[in-house]
Amino acid sequence: MALASDVAVAVLNGVTWGLIVALIALGLNLIFGLLEIVNMAHGSLYMLGAVIGWFVIDATGSFFVALFLAPLAVGMIGVAIERGVLRPIEDDVSITLIATFGLLLIFQQLALMSFGPGTRSVAAPISGTVSFAGVSYSTYRLSVAVVAVALMAGLYLFLFRTRYGTWMRGVRQNREVASALGVPTSKVYAFTFGLGSLLAALAGVLLAPIVSVHHLMGLDVLAVAFIVVIVGGLGSLRGVLVASLTYALVENVGALFVTPVRARILTLTLMIAFVLVRPGGIFEGDAV
Amino acid sequence: MLDVDAIDTYYGKSHILHDVSFEAGSDEVVALLGRNGVGKTTTMRSIIGLTPPRTGTIRFEGEVISGKSPPEIANRGIGYVPQDRGMFPELTVEKNLEMGLGTADRDDDVVRAIFDRFPRVEDRLDQKAGTLSGGEQQMVAMARALMRDPKLVLMDEPTEGLMPSLIPEIAGITRDIAESGYSIVVVEQNVELVLDIADRVYLMDNGRIHEQATPAELRENERTLQEYLGVGL
Repeated sequence: MALASDVAVAVLNGVTWGLIVALIALGLNLIFGLLEIVNMAHGSLYMLGAVIGWFVIDATGSFFVALFLAPLAVGMIGVAIERGVLRPIEDDVSITLIATFGLLLIFQQLALMSFGPGTRSVAAPISGTVSFAGVSYSTYRLSVAVVAVALMAGLYLFLFRTRYGTWMRGVRQNREVASALGVPTSKVYAFTFGLGSLLAALAGVLLAPIVSVHHLMGLDVLAVAFIVVIVGGLGSLRGVLVASLTYALVENVGALFVTPVRARILTLTLMIAFVLVRPGGIFEGDAV
Repeated sequence: MLDVDAIDTYYGKSHILHDVSFEAGSDEVVALLGRNGVGKTTTMRSIIGLTPPRTGTIRFEGEVISGKSPPEIANRGIGYVPQDRGMFPELTVEKNLEMGLGTADRDDDVVRAIFDRFPRVEDRLDQKAGTLSGGEQQMVAMARALMRDPKLVLMDEPTEGLMPSLIPEIAGITRDIAESGYSIVVVEQNVELVLDIADRVYLMDNGRIHEQATPAELRENERTLQEYLGVGL
């Protein structure tokens, strides 16, 4: 019985973590899909969300103000990065790779200077647990899962039901014709980078009460996000969701039976093996 | 309406257009005729801003548009039917049409008129554009260019690459659009179609415009067509 409840909690943790990873990876995938930029700084935007969120909570005492302000701030930083750094070098993939890696280092050092080297915790805005079928689970974690699902549904509706969403998908498929038809492609690029950054920061603030906040927290997530984007299939949104959930479930449930490090090794081995067999990812050829 | 004045356009170091000048007036259908590779498509791309001219000016409704970005140029009221149709293959036909609006607002009367003209496009609204036949894609490309109710339509080879059996239908639609009062610049190799719809024809060779003629003059002077296209009537 104890094992059954442990497994249930691990599954719930896996789903929550998988949904958060999906939020981060969706942003990464949107940016790659549209701008063809491999954004090495994506994890540090997630970290910035958590760090800025911590400062906002420190100043205002409100988690919800932080949940609103920090992603907005990081979204604007994203727009500024696209306009100021990436736009002038957009035609050279290797330079964008180096530039975004440079941004990663800059953000990390800025966080180190302002936030310090230590880890800090953020109190969850919702406390307590909910119990069902003999399993009790953190109300906050459950809320994070619900919010993440709502955000993804919102993103889906935005991409498939609004004019701007149509522009983003169209520009991705045929950028030249889109611009010749009057779609303001340069605004679409900046907006997409901002949106991807905002999603990463949202994940950072939502996760802050669950993991501890520190200036290196983006590195781990960056690797995971890249892996799920590749396993899910470049450009595929549902692929990212499926890959994120699979990754987080295998790792969380695996950690019940072996050490967390071995669980991570197992997960990565499985995912690498999958990509070797199916290099295009789960939903090969899927486009946003 | 459109005034192209002495433009020179390059692809990198290749000098493609040499001192190209022509104009298209209100409600006028102007055609550029010439063999493959003489610079017709480059001329279209120069007008819409995809390959901006290095020297010379292009004016639309009296204002200089050369040097502006493609979206700025299109949003002044120019519809563009690209060569090879330029579909967004993963978008539905409906979303492809929406892309044609640019930043303009959708006008239901315009959309109604487009569907009356292209009933097959209306039938396929929910289908992905990449799954359509070549002829259907061409209709979507033309319908899309009309979505913003443009003052000027640029049509780049509307019958190119179509099955011969489809050409009369697309030609008919092109003629129909030409007769409904849009100003049109059309690049087309189908001489019969061009002579049928154009008010004036410019003959291009080697990146230059060499002659200007009316369809009637060209019909009488088959040698000119032979010279520029290698075909007779």
